Amino acid sequence: MARRSFRWIIIKRLINVAITIFGIMSLNFALIHFMPGDPVANVIPRDPKFPDALKWQLIEKFHLNDSLATQYVYYIKNTITLDWGESYALNGRKVIDIITTDMRWTLLLVGVSTIVTVLLGILIGAYSAYRRRGVFDVGATATTLFLYGMPTFWFAIILQILFSTHPLGMQWWPQLPSSGYWDTDKYGINAKLTLPIILSLGKYLILPTICLAIGSLAGISLIMRSSLIDVMTEDFILTARAKGLTDYQVLRRHALPVGMPPMIALIAMDIAFIIGGAYQVEVVFNYPGIGFRTIWAIQNLDFPILQFIVVIGGVAVVLANFISDLILMYTDPRIRVT
Amino acid sequence: MQDQVQLENAVPGSWASPSRARSCRQQAGSLSRHDSRIPKSFVLTVLLVLTLVGLSFQGVMLTSDAGPSIGETQRAGILADSNATLTANAGPDLSVLQEEEFELDGSASTGNITKWNWTVSYQGRNSTIDGKVVKLKLLTPGAYNFTLKVTDGKGNYSVDIVQVTVVKKPFNLLGAYWQEITIAVVVVAVVSFFFLAVTGRVESIPEATQEKMKLSLRKWRKIFSQVVHNPMGLAGVLILTFFIALAAFGPLIAPYKVDLTALSPFGRLEKPSEAHWLGTDGLQQDILSELFYGARTSIIVGVVSAIIASVLGALVGLYSGYVGGWKDEVVMRANDVVLSIPWLVLMIVVAAMLQTIDLTGIILIIGLTGWSTTARMVRAQVLSLKERQFVERAKAIGASDSAIIRRHILPNAFPLVFANTILTVAISILSEATLSFLSLRPVNTVTWGTMLSYASSADAFHIGMQGWIILPGLCIVTVVLGFTLLGYALDDIMNPKLRKR
Repeated sequence: MARRSFRWIIIKRLINVAITIFGIMSLNFALIHFMPGDPVANVIPRDPKFPDALKWQLIEKFHLNDSLATQYVYYIKNTITLDWGESYALNGRKVIDIITTDMRWTLLLVGVSTIVTVLLGILIGAYSAYRRRGVFDVGATATTLFLYGMPTFWFAIILQILFSTHPLGMQWWPQLPSSGYWDTDKYGINAKLTLPIILSLGKYLILPTICLAIGSLAGISLIMRSSLIDVMTEDFILTARAKGLTDYQVLRRHALPVGMPPMIALIAMDIAFIIGGAYQVEVVFNYPGIGFRTIWAIQNLDFPILQFIVVIGGVAVVLANFISDLILMYTDPRIRVT
Repeated sequence: MQDQVQLENAVPGSWASPSRARSCRQQAGSLSRHDSRIPKSFVLTVLLVLTLVGLSFQGVMLTSDAGPSIGETQRAGILADSNATLTANAGPDLSVLQEEEFELDGSASTGNITKWNWTVSYQGRNSTIDGKVVKLKLLTPGAYNFTLKVTDGKGNYSVDIVQVTVVKKPFNLLGAYWQEITIAVVVVAVVSFFFLAVTGRVESIPEATQEKMKLSLRKWRKIFSQVVHNPMGLAGVLILTFFIALAAFGPLIAPYKVDLTALSPFGRLEKPSEAHWLGTDGLQQDILSELFYGARTSIIVGVVSAIIASVLGALVGLYSGYVGGWKDEVVMRANDVVLSIPWLVLMIVVAAMLQTIDLTGIILIIGLTGWSTTARMVRAQVLSLKERQFVERAKAIGASDSAIIRRHILPNAFPLVFANTILTVAISILSEATLSFLSLRPVNTVTWGTMLSYASSADAFHIGMQGWIILPGLCIVTVVLGFTLLGYALDDIMNPKLRKR
């Protein structure tokens, strides 16, 4: 097999992915187990009369009095066999249950906001490149950079405040819900897929989505802009113009397809990072997803949940990186050479 | 070469012999500045002495001006219950210096005491501090009565009063602002030394070095003028100039002194008023003053942790890229691992390991977790530089690895690292704010991030203190915008080719 063949590259990359995932698991284990504090103290009631025997039973059950090496072996074994054990603090609920439940909400939030970001980002970036140095370009760049510099939690709080009051006494100003999944007062707390609940879900998603989308808008629109500007200076664009194509046709048929590949990597990384946790948005909007659960697990020293959440986040990044590399290699043959 | 030409042209035996011609030329060249030459050692000594004076000044101030304790009158304890053998003893009256820490010692009290309680009537408000021995600092001069109340388990108590006279500290510019003055002296000294060196007034700097300095000065001036002529860069420079001035002079123009270790004269959560334009916060500090003080700490956290991250990242990237082979693979896999773990989790866990975080702690947390992207970027750059012809040539003439890295690779990779550092500063400031929001804030330090976190936990907006939550956020956004704009502009100017990727 030739060293530069596509298959060989993929095999090499796959080995790297495996090594990296193993590294993530090990580092994660080390980090979590060197954290100060006694995880069992959070499980048992704060009562001096609580029998020591029960406490030792718990410690035994969670293998907490084994040596670190033994615990590490248990951890690796459990991760691979998908037997992720029970949460310490949540009354023995299965970790896999908790994580899949939370993951659904995070995926909903991240999915919607990523679609919004990508569409808006590409539109803004493309138009900025197309009317380079125009009013729109300068204005859009300045605005997106300004939005990029906002601490996410601060922006979330400002959004909450803005849409829960009537600024300057404007009565028509929309009021949006700012915490929770859907209107549980009206429709009950059981998640049923009925139309009113779905509409309510959509309404509750607006603010967190705006908050998440706007933070990553600057990255996407700026890369899109610079990538398109590079393409626009190429000779074949000049040729296309010379043929008499309209500006829109040049942009749509010639510039965009060539300018897109760098976007793929960026979008993949964005998704991966956000799966790892839209921490601040979830915390401020009280939208319990993966990020919310991570912060909760750190505070409660819930090792099983923390271990697997971080691994999932890390694996998402590694896989997204790998897949975006593959797509890049597939779409842009020049990359394969290096 | 020129000497040889001169040699040929020189008339033999005349006064214009080569050596004489050379010395004449030298004299003519340096005639105007011959008298004002300053030895380098002298400049360095002055610099050192000034620094030492600045550093030691605080110590000098404290030892020479500490007032002697007057009034040794001891007050009798007031017994509340005749049965109990409880006597409060608050110790002798004190006279202390403004802004100086003193100790209230109630350990001379006798009886079966379970609780010590100090109450002070302070500018019309009562503050209560618990503890047998308490350490305090008072910012405003005046006389204060501290009442010690000792209680045993059965509800008996005894009271004693101690009077503390706070003497106004004589205003002394050096004593009050020794840090600022030290920094200013060092900056002025370094700049003037560089200026003197470039203009050739310092002995023992060879002309070659001088030429090099001139060249690099010219290069940086060119870069600066390019930045200023780029609209983004100009905006960034203007914003940063404003905020760096705020960081430098903020504490001097702040309406009140912010000292989280001192007993504060203000109430908790006061609404905005004439005296406090933005009100006071839960730590009893004036919010407007905190905003001024926060500029310095926030920018220091951002800049120092970005420098740590960049230096670490550059070292790792240089090593990995230059050495190559399996070592490179190992380093890069480790780097991937650090890069893939969600950064916030990494920071929170590292912060949790440190337990108490001070300013240095937060800088280290952000700096030590943020190097991986820089490392990756520097490595890519080194990989391409390594294959260039000038490196091959250097190798061919037998240059050592360290020389190649120092002379050829580092200077070429530096612009990229520099622009990246500026961008990292922005991210570091944001990270600090986020960590503070997740209540991992540095102790006894005011940054914009800690202000925001206290504001959001006090629900500032709904209690009518909108400025408290909006202004620190706006400051962060603007500073971050400034660093980002400058970073992008520098990136554009220094690496025009790389932008194309």
